[in-house]
Amino acid sequence: MNSEKLNLLWLHGLTCCGNTQSFLCAEEPLLSSFLRKVNLIYHPAISEEEELEVKVRAILNGDIKLDVLVLEGAVPKGESDKTYKLDGMSLSELVLKLSSLADYTVALGNCAVYGNIPALKEKNVSGLQYRFKEKGGILGKDFRSKSGMPVINISGCPAHPEWFIGVILSIASGKRILLDSYGRPKEFYAYYTHDGCMRNQYYEWKVEAESMGTKEGCLFYNFGCRGPMTKSSCNRILWNGVSSKTRSGQPCFGCTEFDFPRANLWETKYNMGIPAELPEGVSLRGYIMVSGIAKTFAPDRLKRRLIDEGE
Amino acid sequence: MKVSKKLLTRLEGEAELKLFWQGEKIKDAYISVPNYRGFERILVGKPVMDALVINPRICGICGHAHLRATVEAIEDSLKRAGYEVTITEKARLFRDITLSLEIIQNHLRWFYLYLMPDVVKLKPSLRERFAPLKGSGWQEGVRASNYATKALATLAGQWPHSSYMVPGGVTCDPTEADINKVEALVERVVDFFEEKLAGIEIQSYMSMSGAKLIREVKGDILSFFEACFEHGLDSVGRSYGRFLTGGTIDPCVVPGTKSKRICKFHPERVYELGNYSFFSKNGRGYTWAKAARYGGVPCETGPLARQLIAKNPRVVSLYKKYGDSVLVRVFARLDEILTLSLSVLDKLRSVDLSQRSCIAPPKEVKSVSGEGIGVVEAARGTLIHKISVSRGKIKFYDVITPTVWNLGPRDDVYLGVAEKAMIGLDSELKAYTVLRSFDVCSVCTSH
Ligand code: SF4
Repeated sequence: MNSEKLNLLWLHGLTCCGNTQSFLCAEEPLLSSFLRKVNLIYHPAISEEEELEVKVRAILNGDIKLDVLVLEGAVPKGESDKTYKLDGMSLSELVLKLSSLADYTVALGNCAVYGNIPALKEKNVSGLQYRFKEKGGILGKDFRSKSGMPVINISGCPAHPEWFIGVILSIASGKRILLDSYGRPKEFYAYYTHDGCMRNQYYEWKVEAESMGTKEGCLFYNFGCRGPMTKSSCNRILWNGVSSKTRSGQPCFGCTEFDFPRANLWETKYNMGIPAELPEGVSLRGYIMVSGIAKTFAPDRLKRRLIDEGE
Repeated sequence: MKVSKKLLTRLEGEAELKLFWQGEKIKDAYISVPNYRGFERILVGKPVMDALVINPRICGICGHAHLRATVEAIEDSLKRAGYEVTITEKARLFRDITLSLEIIQNHLRWFYLYLMPDVVKLKPSLRERFAPLKGSGWQEGVRASNYATKALATLAGQWPHSSYMVPGGVTCDPTEADINKVEALVERVVDFFEEKLAGIEIQSYMSMSGAKLIREVKGDILSFFEACFEHGLDSVGRSYGRFLTGGTIDPCVVPGTKSKRICKFHPERVYELGNYSFFSKNGRGYTWAKAARYGGVPCETGPLARQLIAKNPRVVSLYKKYGDSVLVRVFARLDEILTLSLSVLDKLRSVDLSQRSCIAPPKEVKSVSGEGIGVVEAARGTLIHKISVSRGKIKFYDVITPTVWNLGPRDDVYLGVAEKAMIGLDSELKAYTVLRSFDVCSVCTSH
């Protein structure tokens, strides 16, 4: 075993495994670089080692140093935890033990970060350090790993592979990782989904998409786009290297935030003609003034199709 | 009686296999899926359109099939409530194309990441190519699968977890350059199949069947065949020999059922039994899955079923000789990579971008009441969604996944399909390989 590699153990909680699949979609050479710098001591779907017990015992007796613990999926606590028993430990007990030994603990995807869909109807299910908005989760709000960092939350349903690999490579090279108030690396979550969206001009001039299935128009006004309220790099680091939700005509559903999935995902709620939720930091008065002017002066070219038979 | 138990990994999720031995042979097998998230309950009370976002999250590897089943169930409920729902040829083609791409992606990852590492244990000389993470096959397989995911995302925005299918069509509005890119990526999949999987030219591969195919095929398919013959995988893994396909992917997949002959598929004959699942609370439950039955009997669904019912000459000829063995089941899956890729290429050439992507149904559908069903083909077989809506809110939702057919539990008369396929085997390793030949996805099985 190459001792310079990061020892990384990946666990599954209640999950669709979408973050594993997303991880496998990483663009080259990132995936190779990850595999070169990381010793994947166990991963339920892709590692050579199949016996989790063997690795866990070795970590618990100190034979293997655990550098990074990655959890994908939400975790049931106490009574409701029927997931599995490993040497008599339930998943939540296992997570507690391993996170106390690991230098870094990473929650990958919205289930591991906030509980997400599996937590919707189960009070006992939560993320590692959050349950939706509430801080606490399985590890408690004061949790710090050996490195001194709280859980590094890589939110998203799923998380983009480059956000995850980016964080792991930063850990491998000993760089500092700055986190936002939800424990998410600022490097990737200082941005909004709105940043880099191809529809920005339509947003600025308040030109709304009247129907779905067109390149033109902003989806904020009619179709519930959460782009300006959602922290993500979806339109900066494209999905599968090629596109994003808003680029393919879907509104942003806010899947990197604690309140995903909200109700009425395809609709914009209005209060007296003004969107009930405004982009973060924008005042009602400011919005009314700016949008009134924008609408009045919106250039005609934004009201036509981008590519058609005309000149 | 000796009992062995193993938590199986290297699949979508985790599954536990419990084997009962009589002497050297497996006498009984129980497949149990320990994790349950409860999507059907979560959906109740939600606005109907939200299902398009929630349901893909049932499964990280076949979420797109769940999206397609959801949109079709919603459209069906609208139609039955008297609304006209039309989708353009363009939207229909895109839906078929992206669903096919997800299946292609799945088959590649399944073969290289999930199946072959077990075959390596039977035949260690295959290690160099097929070892997890390090093997050239593993790495090339992942790369090839990503030609498909990238092509898919070019149209659907992202993979996994796109919601680009909506009632009335699709949300994307690609340009000719996008279509060209998708085409180039799918051509790479075909090249990969030719160079690495079949090892011979596509034309001659397609012209062969039966013994000739077995003799002449090369590449990774040959490596797999050789391992099968050495370890008897050409004769084990047989189940009931009853097959079912509910969905359509024109022209390579048609609905039907098959035991001795091929018959019409009637969705109303499908039902689920819960008396051996944890839902029944009768103490006999051993898994979170229910058992799906068609007219009272268990059926295998998936690529083997699809290709037999669609009369794919290669699969039919091998089935005649080797039955529903591991060899044929795996081959059917691999062959589908090619047939689906070729049909995607045909479809791309016939897309007319001047058509509309989406013809939105009238606004009041948001408050419609009614019932609908969506029957589609996912990577692992037939996927059925049933919805009941009351004034725009979901009242009831039922998901019958392909793995419920294949990996679901027994009833009072029949064993589950994969359970049956393991009876009589003489080694644990073979039992795992037989189980893997069904392409285990536990997250779908329990959802
Ligand atoms: S579609 Fe959404 S992300 Fe794009 S510009 Fe409009 S509000 Fe922003």
